[in-house]
Amino acid sequence: MNKNVIKSVTMISIFFCLLWLVGLGWAVSEYYAGKPDKIQEKTNVEMKAEKKDGMHIVAIGDSLTRGTGDETGKGYVGFLLDEIKEKSKQDVRLTNLGISGQESGQLKQQIQQTEVKRQLKSADMILVTMGGNDLFRGGQGLLEFEAADIANIEKKFMENMNFIFQQIRASNSEANVFFIGLYNPFSELERGKEMSAVVRHWNYQSAELSAAFPKIVFVPTFDLFELKVNDYLYTDKFHPNTKGYRLIAERVASLLTW
Amino acid sequence: MNKLIQNEMMKLIAKKRLVVIAIIIGILVALFTYAQFKENERQKEKLGTDDWRTIIQQTIIDQQNRISSPRISDEWKQQLQIALQQNQYYLDHDINPSEPGAPTFMRIFLENSIELFIPLMVMVIASDIVSSEHSQGSIKLLLTRPVKRWKVLLSKYLTLILAISLIVAIAGLLSYSISGLVFGYKGWGAPVLTGFSVTDAGLNTASVKLIDQWQFLLMDFGLVWLVAIVVGTLSFMLSVLIRSTAAGMGVMLAALISGAILSNMVSSWESAKYFFMVNLKLTNYMNGNPPPIEGMTLSFSMMVLLVWWCAGLFVSFYVFTKKDVY
Repeated sequence: MNKNVIKSVTMISIFFCLLWLVGLGWAVSEYYAGKPDKIQEKTNVEMKAEKKDGMHIVAIGDSLTRGTGDETGKGYVGFLLDEIKEKSKQDVRLTNLGISGQESGQLKQQIQQTEVKRQLKSADMILVTMGGNDLFRGGQGLLEFEAADIANIEKKFMENMNFIFQQIRASNSEANVFFIGLYNPFSELERGKEMSAVVRHWNYQSAELSAAFPKIVFVPTFDLFELKVNDYLYTDKFHPNTKGYRLIAERVASLLTW
Repeated sequence: MNKLIQNEMMKLIAKKRLVVIAIIIGILVALFTYAQFKENERQKEKLGTDDWRTIIQQTIIDQQNRISSPRISDEWKQQLQIALQQNQYYLDHDINPSEPGAPTFMRIFLENSIELFIPLMVMVIASDIVSSEHSQGSIKLLLTRPVKRWKVLLSKYLTLILAISLIVAIAGLLSYSISGLVFGYKGWGAPVLTGFSVTDAGLNTASVKLIDQWQFLLMDFGLVWLVAIVVGTLSFMLSVLIRSTAAGMGVMLAALISGAILSNMVSSWESAKYFFMVNLKLTNYMNGNPPPIEGMTLSFSMMVLLVWWCAGLFVSFYVFTKKDVY
């Protein structure tokens, strides 16, 4: 065995041993004594959104945007995307920002985030589902069903949506926005008729609100689910199932212009 | 003493263990590089872009959705919450947490191998450094020399420390040079955030610092080295105590694997934090991942490791100088 090999391996090892010791010491001192930096939040990150070829779809909203209840996991956004890909020659890119259980107040927060704004800015089409959690609150709304309460919730919701639409239009004045209306999942239950009346009024207000903005289209879904609601609902009797999502996607697809 | 160390070093090199270890690390790094490359490709295809902001935004949305699911345990929810806040912090400050490049790969590789992989490699050397002398019978030759027994053992221990330093360096060099072929060799100066602390209320960003990636890496290496030394010392102790190399390795392996499992499930068994094996993930304190048990800090983990280290060293020397050799 060559003496020099041994010597040099030993020397290299000693060098690294010392280097790692330095690193260790530094880690400990940095962890305990390092001064915090003031790091500026960057709110105006190069808002110039990368404008690439192809179509960019941004979906915001709640579990419907997420596709909860659809066995294939696509949701109406996925089905719609498939349809567009089939018809359109260009590349289609989807950004799904839906969060299950989101209410309009939370969407209002979300939409003010810098990155979300940037996504919206680069969008060619924006899909919105909102309101189900505000109104039904996962079925609880059905039990404590008071006309005055509902009126309050609705008023608050419309205010939030008004703000959200303003934000969307401020970030992006070109893209078509499709605002998906509510259906009544409880229509075959006790007091289903009363609930339907509430949902109809809600949808009417939503349509009025959408009409106040350019290129914001209200997409009704109430009628889709009106006759055989249970055929189109998932086992939780609240979210649509695959068929239900297909219906919604088809309805939106029929509104697209090329 | 010098001669003794040289002698030990010669045995180490002659055994070619280091070469074997380097080959193992090299193969694994190549595998991980390929996996990471595939993952990047898939993500790019799915999101239609390789813009990191879009990717993080999607991660945040996924995390939010998982948190809002009712079927998730409270602890897991809290961990997700912390990860989410951290991602949001990166996004808000326009810092890419994983700037593409070999240094980032190296960082992630180190953070993931500190707990099991590097200790395993260390074990390969440490667990037979004494017991092999028994099995080959050369221990008698060694001890009949006119040198004190503790000197013999010390020379073996110092050699072990040098070998460990070398293993950590090999892991670093190989992960850098192999992943660089795919991801490029740039990124030493990329900004990295450190100093996140995890409290009951979630992620505390009050003391966050911005440092260069090379600084962060050096610190990570220091921590990996410490963990390797402690694990190496304990295997060394077992190598003194147990004549059979295989048995010693088995014990150590069981301890390490139980540590990896325990870390995932002990959050309610608080006294488990005194085991050395749940304290191995020191890099978590640097990057702000929550510790396995609430209330653990860097100094706590290091103290625990040092106590185990001292005990291991004491037992090794005590037993080796006292025991009968036949």
